[in-house]
Amino acid sequence: MLSYVLDRFKSSIVVLLVVSIITFFVLMIIPGNPAQLILGTDATPEAIAELHAAMGLDRPMYQQYLSWLLNLFKLDMGTSYVYGESVTALIARSIPVTFSISTFAMAIAVFIAFLFGMTSAIKKNSVIDYFSRSIMQLGAAIPSFWIGMVFIVYFGVKLKVLPVSGFVPIERNLAGFIRSIFLPSLVLAIGEVGTLLRIIRSSMLDSLKQDYMDMARVKGLSAGKTYIKYALRGALTAPLTIMGMQFAKLAGGTVVVETIFALPGIGRLVLTAVEHRDIVLLQGLVMFITSTVVFITLIVDILVMFLNPRIKSFQEGE
Amino acid sequence: MRINLSLIIGIILVLIIIAVWVLSFVYMPYPPNEMNISNRFLKPGIDSEHILGTDNFGRDILSRIMYGSRNVLLVGIVSVTLGTMIGILLGALAAMLKHYSDKIIMRIMDGLMAFPGILLAMMLVTVLEKGIQGSIAAISIFMVPVFSRLVYSMILDTENLLYIKAAKSYGSSKGQIFFRHYIPAMLPRLITQFSSSIGSAVMIETSLSFLGLGIQPPFASWGLMLSESRQFFMGYPYLAVAPGIAIIITVLGFNLIGDGLNDILIDREGSDE
Repeated sequence: MLSYVLDRFKSSIVVLLVVSIITFFVLMIIPGNPAQLILGTDATPEAIAELHAAMGLDRPMYQQYLSWLLNLFKLDMGTSYVYGESVTALIARSIPVTFSISTFAMAIAVFIAFLFGMTSAIKKNSVIDYFSRSIMQLGAAIPSFWIGMVFIVYFGVKLKVLPVSGFVPIERNLAGFIRSIFLPSLVLAIGEVGTLLRIIRSSMLDSLKQDYMDMARVKGLSAGKTYIKYALRGALTAPLTIMGMQFAKLAGGTVVVETIFALPGIGRLVLTAVEHRDIVLLQGLVMFITSTVVFITLIVDILVMFLNPRIKSFQEGE
Repeated sequence: MRINLSLIIGIILVLIIIAVWVLSFVYMPYPPNEMNISNRFLKPGIDSEHILGTDNFGRDILSRIMYGSRNVLLVGIVSVTLGTMIGILLGALAAMLKHYSDKIIMRIMDGLMAFPGILLAMMLVTVLEKGIQGSIAAISIFMVPVFSRLVYSMILDTENLLYIKAAKSYGSSKGQIFFRHYIPAMLPRLITQFSSSIGSAVMIETSLSFLGLGIQPPFASWGLMLSESRQFFMGYPYLAVAPGIAIIITVLGFNLIGDGLNDILIDREGSDE
């Protein structure tokens, strides 16, 4: 079991190393001289050459990569030229926004997906099953920027019940905080609920077919008890893995939703970095986001292992 | 065989989009980029000269939707085709050559998979150009790990089956085994994945153009139309209706075809039916 954890840990490190290589070298082939970009077009060639050397851009690529990588470990990701601030500070400031909306979005998505996923598996081919399957398909096909715009018009402009842009920090005003993250989270949840619902429904259908369900019924347990205690428990592994992946994806930045609702999160930073070709900022963001994804996936895998004795014994049996 | 509702609805939706696309080469009510300031913000209506209305520059929305279908289908189909071909090649190389090639290739694929959502596409667009080629390249690369992982695991699953062993003992070359045996065995899954991937490619393309990183103005793309309407749609909500519905029809169509094919070709038991 410990060897499984170590194994997963090792492969996570390898993935992050690969990501760092891809990120660094892909963004290095960008046309144009970063020193020129920073100083603007009026700068003298001497000034550009000086900054070029000061930034270490005249060193061989692999040396630049290694010193960049070493600085990453010290959480020093350089200075963004658009903001003129340290990338670490910029990211740290944006985390609360993105983390709040993604957590809240996952809570909404998980609630809806379990409610409808389980009922639709138990009452297969009923009205509720068809309804759930429509949510499944539509949720995956509706672009988040479109539903976001619809919500803004409806809730923000017509009903005037919710703010349509900006973020209120939780420590300033709890009610304001919830109001400011509600619509963006709902939009994100709609995008994720379909995939999750599909997995819950099919795992639940699988689980309902198992022998232990008959056993539970023979024992005389009530329907509710058999569903929650046996069927749901047996059907939890796949949805958990997917939930982990979805949360990781959301926590890594929700560019589109943050853009529509004008939220100062990680996604906004990504878009700014891309628009202005701020390579240092983008490199830092990509490393931060992929590390978050890899880390959350690792945690979920270990969690799933604890919940699912079959994986545990399989690993030990090896 | 039972009628598969997903597949039928999916095909109908995709046919609608293809019909619009074909028609856009033959006839569009107005030139899609023609501005007419005196006709700004005309409301949609059946008896109106502009059935779907006009936008903030007085451009005909129907014509722009029709023109936009070209970009969406071009980017969607070309990028998924490229991604599929490169993905199959890399997956097959990794699975059939083994040694170090599988470790190196599959680790790179794992690395690419660690980029969530459209981050990889955004990063690639930064390096490439904004616009249609940039979108195609970015989305193709996005698709590569999906297909290479699929092919890699399918080959590992089948390589010990009797008929593959028999072919090897007959002295068939790796290429022969790949084309004669692996490809036919993998085809159902590949086709299914191909169709759903077009759905996701369309979604990424529209997101990129919504963020201003895809097709550039004045050319029409559905994502860009939505993004351009953001300033005005509070007063003129109809601006956002047509592009949104066009995107939903396209993505839903390809996803439903993927699901339907999955039920028919792979999951014959049809746990969903």
